[in-house]
Amino acid sequence: MGSAQSVPPEMRALAERTGFTSEQIEQLHRRFKQLNHNRKTIRKEDFDTIPDLEFNPIRARIVHAFFDKRNLRKAPAGLAEEINFEDFLTIMSYFRPIEMDMDEERLESFRKEKLKFLFHMYDADYDGIITLQEYKNVLDELMSGNPHLEKESLRAIAEGAMLEAASACMARTGPDEVYEGITFEDFLKVWKGIDIETKMHVRFLTMEAIAHCY
Amino acid sequence: MGGGGGPPRRGAPRRLLAVLAVLAAAAAEARGTAGSQAPGAAAMGTGTPPSPSGTAFEETRLHVFTLDYPHVQIPFEITLWILLASLAKIGFHLYHKLPSIVPESCLLILVGLLLGGIIFGAEEKSPPVMNSDVFFLYLLPPIVLDAGYFMPTRLFFENFGTIFWYAVVGTLWNAIGIGISLFGICQISAFGLTDITLLQNLLFGSLISAVDPVAVLAVFENIHVNEQLYILVFGESLLNDAITVVLYNLFKSFCQMRTIQVIDIFAGIANFFIVGIGGVLIGILLGFVAAFTTRFTHKIRVIEPLFVFLYSYLSYITAEMFHLSGIMAITACAMTMNKYVEENVSQKSYTTIKYFMKMLSSVSETLIFIFMGVSTVGKNHEWNWAFVSFTLLFCLIWRALGVFVLTQIINVFRTIPLTFKDQFIIAYGGLRGAICFSLVFLLPPSVFPRKKLFITAVIVVIFFTVFIQGITIRPLVEFLDVKRSNKKQPAVSEEIYNRFFDHVKTGIEDVCGHWGHNFWRDKFKKFDNKYLRRLLIRENQPKSSIVSLYKKLEIKHAIEMAESGMISKVPSSVSLSEYHEGKIKPLSPTEMENMREILTKNLYQIRHRTMSYNRHSLAADANEKQAKEILIRRRHSLRESLRKTNSLSRERPAAANTKRFLSLPKNTKLPEKLRVRNKTSSRVGDSSDSEMDATTTVLNLRPRAGKILREQRLRQQRPPSEFSMEWKNEVDGSQNGQGEQQEPGSLPQPSIGFRQPLLTRPRFGTLSREDLTADHGLARPVPPPRLVRQASQGERQRSKPENQPY
Repeated sequence: MGSAQSVPPEMRALAERTGFTSEQIEQLHRRFKQLNHNRKTIRKEDFDTIPDLEFNPIRARIVHAFFDKRNLRKAPAGLAEEINFEDFLTIMSYFRPIEMDMDEERLESFRKEKLKFLFHMYDADYDGIITLQEYKNVLDELMSGNPHLEKESLRAIAEGAMLEAASACMARTGPDEVYEGITFEDFLKVWKGIDIETKMHVRFLTMEAIAHCY
Repeated sequence: MGGGGGPPRRGAPRRLLAVLAVLAAAAAEARGTAGSQAPGAAAMGTGTPPSPSGTAFEETRLHVFTLDYPHVQIPFEITLWILLASLAKIGFHLYHKLPSIVPESCLLILVGLLLGGIIFGAEEKSPPVMNSDVFFLYLLPPIVLDAGYFMPTRLFFENFGTIFWYAVVGTLWNAIGIGISLFGICQISAFGLTDITLLQNLLFGSLISAVDPVAVLAVFENIHVNEQLYILVFGESLLNDAITVVLYNLFKSFCQMRTIQVIDIFAGIANFFIVGIGGVLIGILLGFVAAFTTRFTHKIRVIEPLFVFLYSYLSYITAEMFHLSGIMAITACAMTMNKYVEENVSQKSYTTIKYFMKMLSSVSETLIFIFMGVSTVGKNHEWNWAFVSFTLLFCLIWRALGVFVLTQIINVFRTIPLTFKDQFIIAYGGLRGAICFSLVFLLPPSVFPRKKLFITAVIVVIFFTVFIQGITIRPLVEFLDVKRSNKKQPAVSEEIYNRFFDHVKTGIEDVCGHWGHNFWRDKFKKFDNKYLRRLLIRENQPKSSIVSLYKKLEIKHAIEMAESGMISKVPSSVSLSEYHEGKIKPLSPTEMENMREILTKNLYQIRHRTMSYNRHSLAADANEKQAKEILIRRRHSLRESLRKTNSLSRERPAAANTKRFLSLPKNTKLPEKLRVRNKTSSRVGDSSDSEMDATTTVLNLRPRAGKILREQRLRQQRPPSEFSMEWKNEVDGSQNGQGEQQEPGSLPQPSIGFRQPLLTRPRFGTLSREDLTADHGLARPVPPPRLVRQASQGERQRSKPENQPY
């Protein structure tokens, strides 16, 4: 406790804005300092120092998500060059566990935010729609660890998945429209049955075993 | 009697019959003599002096008809019992509402009571009590195996801490609490129970506090609570076996020992660890051996299911041999096997395993409950109001208290705390059943003079939990509005999303530097991929579950399409109208060509079919090739049907192409199908359902082909309006004029579109949990849009690396 870097009144403001407790902010700040090597901000290259992240197939997307201006709530499109601690916390706040005392509304908006985070990871070109090509890119990355897979299978799978999504949503569009891609509403529908709010969380407090970077 | 080649062929069967008749007569005579040995001896005893052999020959004539019951008594009775159990099950389901109000377990106990009453009344003695050995060695393993094999492992391990906590600490809490409070009651001399010692009470407490997996399964499988709750209660009922075994043996030994030292208590604690961990280790070890064995069984697929059952049963009885926890062993074995065996065995073997397991477990469960009912009636009861009622009371109180207190503690460690509703259901779902029933019968009466009292108390508790709690839990769940499980079918997109999400979560945890669950799961997966899978799975290519799922779905889909054409029972109004319009067009040369092609293709299949059915091998590959063909042809037809056509003549071949996969499985119907092809062309896509399979239930992808075929119909009716839809990015070069999309609304959709089952669904108790019932609304009123496929070579390549063993 009592690290030199973070200032208490700012921290309180941070806590309010992002919803973390001060202990969690302390922990995350420590991690932030580890990542940024005592500079003020983090750049994309800093994420390369995390050892376990290497094995993650969608590593690039995750790193992008940190710099995505939509997630940082700064702009509707574009990538930031570097993020400061506040931005770091903002991204992390998407993974806060739900609290018992949240009411329906807050729960709903919380859930939407989390899903929007995921949506942005799919939608790489900022147009608010996941097109088939984007979907295929995601699939390519997911399966990149699997050298035996053929392009054709991946394409078929992507199309199959898009079909499923389209069939779930086509009721609303008229007969003359082309199915562009999965919008955010459609995305919400797919995840309707799944409690994303209970799954999409990280236990921020229990971080005793902190994996060290290089 | 086999003569040489001289006598004519016709004489041989007659001679054979003659031989058989003589043998039968000899056998009858032998039995007859055996049967009449007694009267013969009696005759001798009364003083008639003829020699024994002479007696036999003189006393008995040739028996034309004998009844020899003792010879077949044991198998006969077993068969009758099982038959009775199954008939009872049929009887319950005749009245639809009954199983939903009253769980089957209650009805079965009632039947058992009835039977027991009849036997008791008829013979004036206690009916055959269910032998504890029979229960533990034969009836319990199939149920646990079934539960363990189909357990959702991921959810189980995510909640493992909580489950373990409830199982171990909860059962300890219950056992000691009930034991001590009952001892307190026994001290009150007014009840006449003062001769029951503390240790006996503790033993009684330990055997009655065990939540029973059989009862939990029987009750919970109908009420469909959300998976998390279900896994908590059910997992607890499985894991608490370890501690029940330990406590039971511990207190039983203590009751028989004269002095108890501290070292014994430590021995008891050590025993717990050995029992639990030892059981699990045996299970895992044998699971690996089973997986390894199935790696080499691809030449003799017929006995593949046998290995699964043998190894798991072996793990159970090995654990029992060492007095370890058999339930944990068989659960661990099943869970281990499930992962690897599924990849090694063929599709048919998998189905066999699944069905046989369900059948065995269903029969066992039924028998257990009936036996419980039968064993209740009899003379081994002693009623004592105080003991019985206080037992019941304490069971309920301590369970509720225990769950409440333990949840408060474990909620601190859980990210998603358990709400009061959850706690209530967990406490209420703590049903007792056959395990405590059998354990109480195993008590040595020398050490327990009041054994009958215990039996009575146990029976009352079991009846209460099974009947009252079992019947009321469903309205309670609805009243409390507990979250139900939503049975979604396996969709490819969901699999993708889930996988993506897992990676995201792992990535974020890595960024945070947090070693969460995902970390361990990842580590295990890496270890698994590197060593275990290579060792245990036959064709080890790193398989992605997404791809496997997709391929499975596609092939299933294709087979269904093929089969659905045969047994299409749902007439769509469009097809009917088409029929009425009397569309019998003259066959064009292209059509003739197509028909000929169809015929040749089917002759190919017929030739396959007349291969001799060798008992030791199944023609498994034929189906694979069939499936591949279906797949290829479907791609063809997809492409053709979606290509923009302007002429009627081109539509016909497209329609004809789609008929090809009608014809495959059931050749005999083919000629009629060909004749009425034009009329019933619309029927193809309307109904399909497949054998209920846990992995591929109702398919998301199915509507696609069905829709395409419906479009064929549409196009035949209304040629001018051509609709096709493509993905924006996909089509290069034909952007113009192809932006329209098939209109969904104009088609009168059959609302019961794809629901016709090909096989009657067997209504097993636990089967419905796995399979999506056809009624769970998946009516797809809106057909999905289509794709345009460009490259045809791609389709060919798809079928090549089909090394999925099916």
